[in-house]
Amino acid sequence: MNDPVLVVDGLTVYRGAHPAVQDMSFVLQSGTDTAIVGPNGAGKSTLIQAVLGILPRQSGRVSVLGHPLSAKGHLPPKVRQHIAYLPQNFLFDRRIPITVSELVALGWDQVGLQLPWAGRRERRHAAREALDQVEAWHLRDQMVSSLSGGETKRVLLAYCLVRPRSLLILDEAPAGLDVLGESEFYKLLYRLKREQGWAILQISHDLDMVRRSCDRVLCINRKLLCQGPPEQALAPEQLALAYGSEFVRYHHTCHDH
Amino acid sequence: MTIESEITRVVELFQLPFMQRALMGGVLTGLMGGLLGSFTILRQLSFFSDALGHSALLGISIGLLLGLDPSWVLLPFAVVFALVVTYFLERTRLWTDALLNIVYSSSLALGIILLSFRDEYRGGIGNLLFGDILAIRTADLIFSAVLLAVCTGFIGLTLRSQILMTLNEPMAIARGVNVSAQRTTFIVLLSLVVGISIKAIGVLLISAFVVIPACAARMVSRRFTHYIVISAGLGAISAVIGMLLSALFDLPSGPSIVAVQLGTFLLAALAPTARALAS
Repeated sequence: MNDPVLVVDGLTVYRGAHPAVQDMSFVLQSGTDTAIVGPNGAGKSTLIQAVLGILPRQSGRVSVLGHPLSAKGHLPPKVRQHIAYLPQNFLFDRRIPITVSELVALGWDQVGLQLPWAGRRERRHAAREALDQVEAWHLRDQMVSSLSGGETKRVLLAYCLVRPRSLLILDEAPAGLDVLGESEFYKLLYRLKREQGWAILQISHDLDMVRRSCDRVLCINRKLLCQGPPEQALAPEQLALAYGSEFVRYHHTCHDH
Repeated sequence: MTIESEITRVVELFQLPFMQRALMGGVLTGLMGGLLGSFTILRQLSFFSDALGHSALLGISIGLLLGLDPSWVLLPFAVVFALVVTYFLERTRLWTDALLNIVYSSSLALGIILLSFRDEYRGGIGNLLFGDILAIRTADLIFSAVLLAVCTGFIGLTLRSQILMTLNEPMAIARGVNVSAQRTTFIVLLSLVVGISIKAIGVLLISAFVVIPACAARMVSRRFTHYIVISAGLGAISAVIGMLLSALFDLPSGPSIVAVQLGTFLLAALAPTARALAS
């Protein structure tokens, strides 16, 4: 088996005086899709933000592609290049003047001091290829603010694949899409995952999608309640631990009808 | 008085060294304001630049009270002040505009109180509030030119990180951008630009140089890189036209430049309507 893409060992993160994530450990293998599920306030976003070094951790160890994340959240730039992250709802000010091709090309750029025109031809070529792959090349000159929800998600996936990545971290990526848009988003995501060999760590509230598409599930509520394949981690008794028995009864009633 | 004689008068006026310095000072301030302003408005820091301008009065007052050259006190004061305010903004649960309002109104009040202890400076309050671009010295120009070079270098070399940070900070951190260091550097440069421009533009009008050209540029830009260049360009062009109008009609210089900036903003705001009517 290949080296794991992500190793989280005994991770504890405080939000204020209280632990939002307590002593969590898991491993993400290359080419696999792991979903984080749990109720609101369970610490799902906190967990991935600590994994990325956006939030500081109180204890525990995180390593990406064999490189440890420092206490200050530092990872070598060449490792950072292998990670793509799409935050919850991708909230950004829609008044910002930026075109689709500019946004996608930002995914290609290396962080650090460089002349504004450095690698111009390569980044343009990479952006074109990425937009082609998500069938959004025709949107290249449109402002991001003028895109529909579905188009925005496609463009964001182009941002992720403009460079070869090993790890994709998604915080409720399809939020804001209707049922059809969500299904198209996942179809595209999983086609790209197969082609690119991405390991995906994603937060999701859609348990049916998780059951259908994910390889592993982390069921959390401030602590890691269970982890394993969907049929095991999404068993009623496990869901009852995370969400409460009322939720499980409701969920199963909806499912049965 | 004919148009030719008026033009001759203006041309002769701009041959005077103090007018040339004023014109260059206006252009440098316009370029710096437009350049940093493009990021300032998108990061919703426009009120911050206004608060910085008002706080400068307190810095000048402290300098005068200590018997020091206010210009030398103003710049370090502006930087320290900006960093302290940023610290409070990041660590209190108050609304940003409310906290900045406290900061700028109280520093204005304290500045005026301190100035009242210096009788000989009471007459200079007008200059502090509205600036005197004609009083720009060669040393001020050199400092402004160096600061413009530093700002251009910083924005140019970190452009892609700056854009990503402006779009979404967590995404930028995930890519390895040191957001905290970049943000602090930007705030320090902004405070220096505001501090150095106070003499020419005054406490009350300085934020116009940061905000108006950037807003006008936003109206007519689709691409981020074009937006930054247009913002800086509009800042410089407004300064040139404002200075010319000021000389032609014998108007105060700083307010004339701001009036031209307003004109460019209104033109930019009306441009889509005009295009729609034309088609």
